[in-house]
Amino acid sequence: MPNIQESNPMRFEGTDRYYLNAELREIVNIAIAMEKPLLLTGEAGTGKTQLAFEIARALHLAVEEARCKSTFKGEELCYVYDTVLRLNDSRFGSGDTGRDVNNIWDYIRFGPIGRAFTCEDRRVLLLDEIDKTDSDTQDNLLDVLEDGAFIIREINHKIRAKQRPIIIITSNAKRELSDPFLRRCFCHYIPFPGPEEMVKIVRLHYPDIPDAFLHASLETFYRLREEGFEKPPATAELLDWIGAMRAGGVRGPGAGKDVAHIGTLLKRTQDILKFKGIRKALRF
Amino acid sequence: MIGFIDGLMRAGIPMSVHYILEFYRGLRAGIAPDVDRLFLFARLVFVKKVEHYDAFEQVFRHFFLGDSAVKPEDWESLLTGKPFQEWLRREVESGRLPPEALRDFETEELLERFWRTVMAQDGEHHGGNTWVGTGGRSPYGHSGRHGGGIRVYGESVHGTAQKVIGARRYIQYSDDTPLKSDNLRQVLSTLKSLRPVGPENELDVDTTIERTAKNGGEIELVFQRELRNRVELMVLVDNGGYSMLPYVDLVKTVFNKIRDCFRDVRFYYFHNCIYGTVYADPQRRQPVSWENLLASGKKTRLIIIGDANMAPAELMASYGSIDPATAIRKPGFVWLRELREAFPVSVWLNPIPRNHWPWNSPTIGRIGDIFHMEDLTLGGIKNAAAYLNLQGQGVDQAA
Repeated sequence: MPNIQESNPMRFEGTDRYYLNAELREIVNIAIAMEKPLLLTGEAGTGKTQLAFEIARALHLAVEEARCKSTFKGEELCYVYDTVLRLNDSRFGSGDTGRDVNNIWDYIRFGPIGRAFTCEDRRVLLLDEIDKTDSDTQDNLLDVLEDGAFIIREINHKIRAKQRPIIIITSNAKRELSDPFLRRCFCHYIPFPGPEEMVKIVRLHYPDIPDAFLHASLETFYRLREEGFEKPPATAELLDWIGAMRAGGVRGPGAGKDVAHIGTLLKRTQDILKFKGIRKALRF
Repeated sequence: MIGFIDGLMRAGIPMSVHYILEFYRGLRAGIAPDVDRLFLFARLVFVKKVEHYDAFEQVFRHFFLGDSAVKPEDWESLLTGKPFQEWLRREVESGRLPPEALRDFETEELLERFWRTVMAQDGEHHGGNTWVGTGGRSPYGHSGRHGGGIRVYGESVHGTAQKVIGARRYIQYSDDTPLKSDNLRQVLSTLKSLRPVGPENELDVDTTIERTAKNGGEIELVFQRELRNRVELMVLVDNGGYSMLPYVDLVKTVFNKIRDCFRDVRFYYFHNCIYGTVYADPQRRQPVSWENLLASGKKTRLIIIGDANMAPAELMASYGSIDPATAIRKPGFVWLRELREAFPVSVWLNPIPRNHWPWNSPTIGRIGDIFHMEDLTLGGIKNAAAYLNLQGQGVDQAA
């Protein structure tokens, strides 16, 4: 039985800048081998978006990135037909821009999906925060991605993917994704990193941090996470906090209520007040 | 393999022929050369929601790793436990294991040997139950590189699939778990799916242009509902009972977080049952009049969160309130029925698990007749949101 895991040159092993646990690495490789879109969910700060860039870096591929907005209908990610420009050119002439009014291709601009499909090399296609779009858009997109083709309606021309891109989709679970959408993806929930993993993550950013300092910081960090704040601190906050403490020349993270630079860890006023033990008058 | 898929279905994981075909396709392509990759691959193919991770892990463990007598949670206690330690001592004393083995061998390898001995002694065969392993003899099986039990990816820094499964990291996301701070996100996204309502007062430019063009220039305006969700939500929380204690803060957090998604979210409190008044503060000192409360009924979604567990007299009898100084004659269930009629779109969430309702208190059933009741688990909240959407649709159309 041919083992495509071993023989596949597209194998992702992580990079020096990004901490990757073995589970996630295998999942990425399985998704690449099966040519399925990989949907990553999980708390903010678990490195969902970053993963796409690191895959591209490790495999020496270019990234096509689409940051989703609630107004997206899906088609603009494939192509945009600039009618206004063409109308303008037809009335006033295209001048020395080199555009030919009679040639519609001069007025079609490809979006991230279009570019990923039309380019010669394989690319990583990142659809960031897909949950911001509405469910019809998601279904349309998935049709396109599954077929590896879309149609430019104006000229009824079918664009086929020359190379299937590696598709990474992220979601912050602002809204639940539709079942058909989930069905067509490989879905992975990235759990929040535990202390051992967090040590490695912090070390990637601050390689020279003393052990005792790091462990004391992590202890405070995970204690704060346990306390059920409205917005519990995540990886980004931890890194900011450690950065702030190091920049400020603080010797240790402090204990109890004397945590240095608490503002970098807790963002909401209510959380900070709760942390300081001040009970604000309840809102309701 | 059919048994595995059947097991997943019985565990409530949605199944599709596509998944099964895809699974086979992957297996044939050699995607899963060892049990760890099989685990990940199967999870990617079959499980689409984090709620189902835990159930999946349990089925996988049962089917592929054999449902051994040793619960994986006992992993640590097994290693420090008496049988294993004694076996280790015997092996070393008898020279079957060199003393260096304790240092050089991986834990899994030792365990593997231990189980071999135990199985040989008992003559026990797990036979068809295990899929991995030599003749299904060892409950841990082996296909790793060193014959030392299942190793993940051949690197000792990682746990085994068994350990991963044993940790049950996803149990807090399972559909039957009660509301916890860990699974707030799931609840939030469920609640955000409450269907938006509101007037269609935003001009849909694209459709308007299209229609206008089709009409040959005769302008036709098309309106759509504005994107903002105009659902008004009212939450009544029972903050009296013991069973409610763990939930009051969580419930507040949940609804505070979604405040901006809706036009309005209001909170009121009551104790055990409602007798014409609810309170705006948790200490129940600022009463809100019944008329004010009911006035907003038609256009507001009402969620009552309470254990519905009280002395039957509190619900059924005149002057039934738990407050002995009460002067209210109307019994609780009449008040509740009035509330239900005023709020056609309403649901009751109960922190007591559903399967305990029948014997926990007779009043749960009585209140369940008045309000549609779900329990305060992820699944229950999902059902509640679906119910509110369904009811809301009818009411909004009628309005």
